[in-house]
Amino acid sequence: MPKATLTLLLDFDDQVQKDQGQTAAFLHRRDRKFALACEADGRHPGPANWLAYLGGFNRERQIGGSDPRLRVWRRVNLAFIAVGTLLGLVTMLGLLFYDGSGQINVTVILGFVLLQVSLAALTSLQSFFGWRPWGQLPDMIARRLGRARPSGTVLRQLQPQLSARAAHAGGLAFGISGLLTLLGLVVVQDLAFGWSTTLSTAPEAFHRLVQTLAWPWQSLWPAAVPSLELVAESRFYRIEDAGGSTAPARWGDWWPFVAMVWLCYIILLRFILLMVAISHLELRARRLLARHPGLKTLLYRMETPALETGNAHSDAADQPQMTTSIHTHPLPNASVAIRWAGAGDNQLASSLLKSEQHLVLAAGGAATLTDDHETLQQARLTLGSGEPRAALILTHAWEPPTGELADFLAEALQQWPQTTHIALVPVGAAPDTPPEHQVAQWLRFTERLGHTRLSVSLASGEPS
Amino acid sequence: MTAGPVFAVVGHPNKGKSSVVATLSQNDAIAIALEPGTTRQSQAYPLTVDGETLYTLVDTPGFQRPRKVLEWLQAHSLTASDRAETVAAFVTQHRNDARFHDECELLAPLVEGAGIIYVVDGSVPYSAENEAEMTILRWTGQPSLALINSIGPDDYSETWQAALGQFFQVVRRFDAVRAPFDQHLSLLKAFGQLEPAWEQPLERAVRHLRDQRMRRREQTAGLIAKALEEMMTWREQRTFTAGRLPGQSDDELAVSLRERWYKHQRQREQALRLAIERLYQHNRIQRQEAELTWHSDHDLFSEKSRRAWGVSRAYLTTAGFGAGALGGVGIDAVTLGTSLGAGALVGGLIGAAGSYFYGDRLALSALKLGPLREGLQTATFGPVQDSQFGYIILGRAIDHWWHISHRNHAGRDPLDLVPTESHWLQHLNRTSRNTIQKCFDKCRRNKELDGKSRHELELAIAAALDAYDEWRLNPA
Repeated sequence: MPKATLTLLLDFDDQVQKDQGQTAAFLHRRDRKFALACEADGRHPGPANWLAYLGGFNRERQIGGSDPRLRVWRRVNLAFIAVGTLLGLVTMLGLLFYDGSGQINVTVILGFVLLQVSLAALTSLQSFFGWRPWGQLPDMIARRLGRARPSGTVLRQLQPQLSARAAHAGGLAFGISGLLTLLGLVVVQDLAFGWSTTLSTAPEAFHRLVQTLAWPWQSLWPAAVPSLELVAESRFYRIEDAGGSTAPARWGDWWPFVAMVWLCYIILLRFILLMVAISHLELRARRLLARHPGLKTLLYRMETPALETGNAHSDAADQPQMTTSIHTHPLPNASVAIRWAGAGDNQLASSLLKSEQHLVLAAGGAATLTDDHETLQQARLTLGSGEPRAALILTHAWEPPTGELADFLAEALQQWPQTTHIALVPVGAAPDTPPEHQVAQWLRFTERLGHTRLSVSLASGEPS
Repeated sequence: MTAGPVFAVVGHPNKGKSSVVATLSQNDAIAIALEPGTTRQSQAYPLTVDGETLYTLVDTPGFQRPRKVLEWLQAHSLTASDRAETVAAFVTQHRNDARFHDECELLAPLVEGAGIIYVVDGSVPYSAENEAEMTILRWTGQPSLALINSIGPDDYSETWQAALGQFFQVVRRFDAVRAPFDQHLSLLKAFGQLEPAWEQPLERAVRHLRDQRMRRREQTAGLIAKALEEMMTWREQRTFTAGRLPGQSDDELAVSLRERWYKHQRQREQALRLAIERLYQHNRIQRQEAELTWHSDHDLFSEKSRRAWGVSRAYLTTAGFGAGALGGVGIDAVTLGTSLGAGALVGGLIGAAGSYFYGDRLALSALKLGPLREGLQTATFGPVQDSQFGYIILGRAIDHWWHISHRNHAGRDPLDLVPTESHWLQHLNRTSRNTIQKCFDKCRRNKELDGKSRHELELAIAAALDAYDEWRLNPA
């Protein structure tokens, strides 16, 4: 059995509220997947199917029997029906109160029916226009009872229609109860109906009125249409003696008409308006569902391809250590300079060597590993020949230190005399001292290698 | 379903490989640092549409010992035809060798058929050091493209271009931090042209990314419209007993409520900013610093902010006239035109007068004390009675959006929002201006916007986003 629109609306609203805590990416994936599954199965991806799909993962969410969110309104309906039944009984007893001293005035009953019709019409109108003169009433009751107001936003928007439904149900109960009371009294009592008015109305005119009123049933039940004779004979005046020349049984002939007026203009009208109210509630719930902001975004998520650009992976917390505890040292008195990967030039390299017997070599970069090996050997010979036992390795300051340089340094430290000091000299692209962040990577590199005979110096010779 | 082409982003250490991947995958959670070895493992970043992978970017560590690798390859290769196979053999043989960990990580995707995206830094001089790397890459036989990324301020890209042209099919310049979105798409298209089979998935990816960007703009307009409505109609409310707090005057109560009102507005604005950042997948913008800066110098309520983002009285009056006339047209329609446009004129004059009157100062409504009911009294503060407030929120929100939508995910600098000194709203079309003013007027009167008005406001804000973008990019 399909879900009632109101329950569907409430379920949908609940789900939208729950989804507010979820990430947009998750919702998009979930709903797009559902839409694609519907497309594959040839199903319509409407809210009902969507809720059923989500409900399938959460069985306990399924609501069996009556909807607890509508409990308040069910109670309101029952209260209206109970009060309506009681009032119908009391009202009819009042209207038909007859102690034999005077006739029951049909004009009063017609006036009361007119009042009922007006009330019923007003109830429907306020529902159609969404007017809520009693809008604060639920708040007040909740405050008096010390409770939070139970209804959510959606139910609040449907209050005029829900109230109209309750009012018409109460009205219908009122009518049925009144009619049963009328029939009961007709059976157990002799009721004397008549009509009376201060206005100078001729019986013909009153007859035309009752004939008009009895038009709906005149062919179905002719006996319930008072004749002109009955109208003429049953007019009474209070200052006259009750009864007059009219036969007592004649006064009772009005009851079919009264019963049919009641049935037609109170019960039937209320029943029709109740059905209209139910349909209106259904229509309004459907419209609210169609205009629900959540539905717009749901449709958007279902229609739009779920595009993921690859941003799920995060290693932002895995940042390298960017601090170092070591500093640059003054340029040592060196006899060998090696230009790593073509860093600097021969002139610069020579100018950094204070020893008269110095050697400028090349390694790394475009050189082969064999060239590197030969460089190491040549340097070993120079460094082994005497003081000073220090070598400079010029590097491009902006280039990050690589494993190849680490290997070269490891071999140098191993092959060269044990007392040889090696200073890495990062050279900037411009003639001045390289920027601090470029020097810092060489300091961290040297710290990582952790050799006491290895340090970093600047070509300017100034320690930082 | 095919897995889509794979592109391995390779190169020397610290040349911006991760930055390129971060920008193209819209991922601001990739570790980027000026330190070699920040990336130690290969990491795949697939672009998927409804679960289908259109392409995958693989971020890799940089070369550490390229000459040793090349020496091994040369020693184990007989002819040019076995080079790719020799590279695969190298990876197989050195998979567990710590010395060649980085090389194996970066070569493995290439051995499996990935395209090569070789990244160099165009802001530093060309070095022959890269030649061993480029030779190894050529040995793999995979389609290749070189990217000149500029990390620093200097420019050596001409030299790089000439050198890279010797080794790669395509050479492109791409600034991972500053490249505009169109260049991202253009680069992806270039990836697709490396191999005929890759063209179609990359074209699809570009189309989806472009659509996504348009949708984000629409969603931003919705987010701003919602925030505007909430902020413009916000009322700070407090209920207290008839006795209130002893010694608390109306003025003190007004001050207390006003402070709470300010605090709420700031929080709501921050929530809007966060929502827009999330929409554009910026999850790690340094908000703390940005927020402090924003609050101290460019606070929502500061005079400076008002000067920067508020609009002139003449603007307000004109927009007010337009907004009022829109309402008046309804009267003319009801009278089937027999009012000869008088409705529009009268509505316009009323709207202009209202805007002129209310637009003079950043006026808040005064404290309002409700009637005493059941021993309780309610004091309310707000909503703001000045349309300027709405324009300030709108201007700041759009400026923030602009920075976010043009920010690449490789960017790691704190977001700095500097107010402009010009009134960009003058560039917005008249209909949108009137719509915005009309909605502000409704909010000022504490009227809820209906679905239609809200939709119109969203469209007007979307137009304002375009106008601002146009004004920023073409300030003349």
